[in-house]
Amino acid sequence: MELTKNITLGIYLPGETFVHRLDPRTKIIASVILIVLLLFIRSYEAYGIFLIFTAAVIFISGIPPGFALCGLKPMLPVLVLMWIFQLFLYRTPGSDVIFSWWIFSATDTGLHMGNLITLRVLFLFTVTTILTLTTSMVSLTDGLENLLKPLRKIGLPSQELVMTMVIALRFVLILAEELDKIVKAQMARGVAFDRGNFLQKTKKIFPVFLPLFINAFKRAEELIIAMESRSYTGGKGRTKMKTLHLGRVDLAAGLLIFLFSALIVFIIVSIQPQI
Amino acid sequence: MNLSVRKIVISGILGAISILLGVTRLGFIPVPTPAGHATIMHIPAILGGVLEGPVVGLITGAIFGLFSFLQPGAPFFADPLVSVVPRLFIGVVAFLIYYSTKKINNILACILAGAFGSATNTVLVLGMATWRGYLPPEVSISIGVLHGVPELIVAAVLTVILVKGIQRIRSIEE
Repeated sequence: MELTKNITLGIYLPGETFVHRLDPRTKIIASVILIVLLLFIRSYEAYGIFLIFTAAVIFISGIPPGFALCGLKPMLPVLVLMWIFQLFLYRTPGSDVIFSWWIFSATDTGLHMGNLITLRVLFLFTVTTILTLTTSMVSLTDGLENLLKPLRKIGLPSQELVMTMVIALRFVLILAEELDKIVKAQMARGVAFDRGNFLQKTKKIFPVFLPLFINAFKRAEELIIAMESRSYTGGKGRTKMKTLHLGRVDLAAGLLIFLFSALIVFIIVSIQPQI
Repeated sequence: MNLSVRKIVISGILGAISILLGVTRLGFIPVPTPAGHATIMHIPAILGGVLEGPVVGLITGAIFGLFSFLQPGAPFFADPLVSVVPRLFIGVVAFLIYYSTKKINNILACILAGAFGSATNTVLVLGMATWRGYLPPEVSISIGVLHGVPELIVAAVLTVILVKGIQRIRSIEE
């Protein structure tokens, strides 16, 4: 049982490519634009263009494609199941039945809906993975803090919230190692995690959960002391040693994203069928 | 509004556990239904609400929601109205229930907080998914019963065990 093998979240692959050299703010804004676009795309043409775009970004950034997608592996069975689920259960009046068996029947709208939603899931995953693989945690924090600074004016503790997000991302890998150790320790004591029916399997999560949470809380206490003893006070009055600067690459990337989203918006508005 | 270091760190780490349960698929308990599994990824949000108050519960829920939006486990989570918004309430509801019943009995309060927090997740997520048209109402109701009930029981039991465990560790350290 290898739990930590397929985690790509929170990992940064250092590099010197065009994508790596971009200002983190540019990358964050670009990712947000792409995610928003994904929520509105409902046609295969637009997804095709999206695929070419993301493939190009992966190629330019020098991420091994297999590595970028390996985080998807544990999700695949669920995706397939949900696709089948959509295929048979989603229907609107007037849709054609394309396949039927016993009490189940698949409709063309179900197929369309299943495809579109699955594609959306895959692309959402890819966009966020590319962002975290090409941006170091420090610059991601700097970028987010910088972008969310205006929210301070309406009383939202933006810097503190960004810090929370960063702690969460950082600790995923640390806790994953911890979890691996706990699972192995319990297996050495004879717990067979992959055997048994639903009830037996559920019971087996208890001896994993308790140590995991207690260790996590112990780490939290240590981190609190460490941060307090370094006088962390959140964002108020804090200055940076390294400030962010937008360069020529950012202008180029901005233009690219603008053209790309214009194209997608054009497809969404004019070609896409309205459901 | 100001967030203390304590609130920042604890919501961050609980959020990390939520994400971890998602990426390792450990947070999914296989249930023999069409949708495949019940989730326990919302437990950290419940714990955050019970142990540290509504703000931590809210932030942990937000991290959980954001993660399930960006790396969705099921297609209808690829819509922030289904994945993020309902999750904000888990920790807050758990806190309110725990706080109002704590005086009667600590263990009972934990059970109720776990159960209600879990029910909040089930009802709001499925409600939103139905309202947004991803699931037909009758399917939602059957998922709600088939998944919601085991989730609710597991959440209630886990909340008691974890809260008691963590409270004991804390009292020893103090």
